Amino acid sequence: MCSIKEVEVLVRANRIERLVLIVILLIVGIFMVFPMVWMLLSSLKTTEEVLGTTMTFLPGDPQWSNFSGALEMAPFLRYLWNSFSTATVIVLMQLFLSCLLAYALTQMEFKGRNTIFMVVLSTYMLPAATTYIPSYVIISKMGLMDSLVGIVVSNMVNVFTIFLLRQNFLNVPKELIEAARADGSSEWTILWRIVVPMSKNALINASIISFIGNFNNYLWPSLITNSEENYLISVGLNRFFNSQGAFGDTFPLIMAATVISVLPLMLMYFLLQKYFIGTVSSSSGVKG
Amino acid sequence: MNKKTTIWQILLYVLIPLIPLVVFWIIPLIVSVWLSFTNWDYISPSYDYVGISNYTNLITDEAFLQALGNTVLFALATVLPILFFGFVFAMLLNRLRRNVTFLQGIMFAPWITPMIGMSIVWSWMFDPQIGPINQFLEILGLPQPKWLTDSDVAIWAVIIVTIWKNIGWAMLFFSDALSKIPKGLFEVSDIEGANWWYRIRYVLIPLVSPTSLFLFIILTLDSLQAYDQINVLTQGGPAGSTRTMLYLYYEIAFQQFNMGAAAAVAVLIMIISALLAFISMKISKKYVFY
Repeated sequence: MCSIKEVEVLVRANRIERLVLIVILLIVGIFMVFPMVWMLLSSLKTTEEVLGTTMTFLPGDPQWSNFSGALEMAPFLRYLWNSFSTATVIVLMQLFLSCLLAYALTQMEFKGRNTIFMVVLSTYMLPAATTYIPSYVIISKMGLMDSLVGIVVSNMVNVFTIFLLRQNFLNVPKELIEAARADGSSEWTILWRIVVPMSKNALINASIISFIGNFNNYLWPSLITNSEENYLISVGLNRFFNSQGAFGDTFPLIMAATVISVLPLMLMYFLLQKYFIGTVSSSSGVKG
Repeated sequence: MNKKTTIWQILLYVLIPLIPLVVFWIIPLIVSVWLSFTNWDYISPSYDYVGISNYTNLITDEAFLQALGNTVLFALATVLPILFFGFVFAMLLNRLRRNVTFLQGIMFAPWITPMIGMSIVWSWMFDPQIGPINQFLEILGLPQPKWLTDSDVAIWAVIIVTIWKNIGWAMLFFSDALSKIPKGLFEVSDIEGANWWYRIRYVLIPLVSPTSLFLFIILTLDSLQAYDQINVLTQGGPAGSTRTMLYLYYEIAFQQFNMGAAAAVAVLIMIISALLAFISMKISKKYVFY
């Protein structure tokens, strides 16, 4: 019924099949990176090259001055720094608080533990945006409107991180913790010296995912900040884009600004690529 | 077995971490529900209770019904292709076995990029005159739609960008799931002489069904929150054709400052999310093979 070749399908690809697969995947790959490549090339073109109706793929004479031009028009480096610093502080706070709560939920016994877990669980599925109106009022009542502190404070909790850590803390052998307790170690020592080091990978996963999200965050920061010195990179970039009109005179400058906004995470990604890919998929906690 | 947990420990380990959760999640959720029964406009200090009229106004409002339809279309037309292509690419990569890191890296790259920045790039790629997409379609002799200004097409432009950004992410999860399938399973189906479709249908798909369900839930909940790409590409237009429920919520709340009505939209989004999560859990108990 089946030819020998068909039997091989999904077992092992031979040389010709491998070649075909590589070609297909390369074509797909080209489509995936095309917007990035096109952005880079456009950022080096002149306005005439961009607006010309004939397709010029490569810039004739790379206009590196587009980058300095963009940096002169808006403080993109400041925006990048804002994104970097808030995302870093947010990730550290989230890890600290999530470690405490995940430890309590897995290793401590107290009344209402399951209730608290159910409450945390119920917020997991809900879109953050549905909380924005009251959160907006709360931030303004706290006097944190239009400040980076406001962005940090309102993002201190990350339910996903709590889950991921809880999942991992559950896997720490009970005997180890009991032994440490018998030795007279405090809960604090057990958490930071035993449980956390054993869950290092989960902590890295949670950090990377949260860092990217907070670095690129747009909607909420755009609602609670309105002065230039407090913009995150996405907020600043979009304001710049909207201020430039739609007729393309400054299109290469917009592309240069976009490159500036995309580049830091991209560089980080390609330097740590293997690491990124390993972490994101292993963080699912899904039995596959 | 445990030492008795002291009040101070509960304070440190439980109550302190819960403060931000309560302040920025629990209280806002409750307040949102309460606000949805008022006509508060943010500026004036007073408000009236209006019963369920925010809700009844919504379900008779054409803009809302259009947004609801757009949300469903957007969810289905992004989630299903992301799952499909994510699975197919993961399978192809899995067949290659070796030297896949580079290809994987390229396909995952869009997920790292900021949605705002890449949407700005896509908005120019969709440009009917200078954009490479229509220039490419012209070479192929295909029709060249006015992507962002035609109300029949605009939502598809938003959908394409969303799919592009998330395929690599889904692919990683499927790759991970496929790599965990014991090789012996395929050898058994070899001996039984199963054809490739049989293998995919009865060996592969059941084995990745937990991953698929997980991705389906997360991607659907994500699609309900899509905002950045809509804001950059179309701002809900033309003629409301790309306005999703979340975008409508944003407009009512933060452009019109009609907080009561906006809260009602938020509550409806919450209800849809909760229902989705509930149904998915039921399905997973019945059909997903662990």
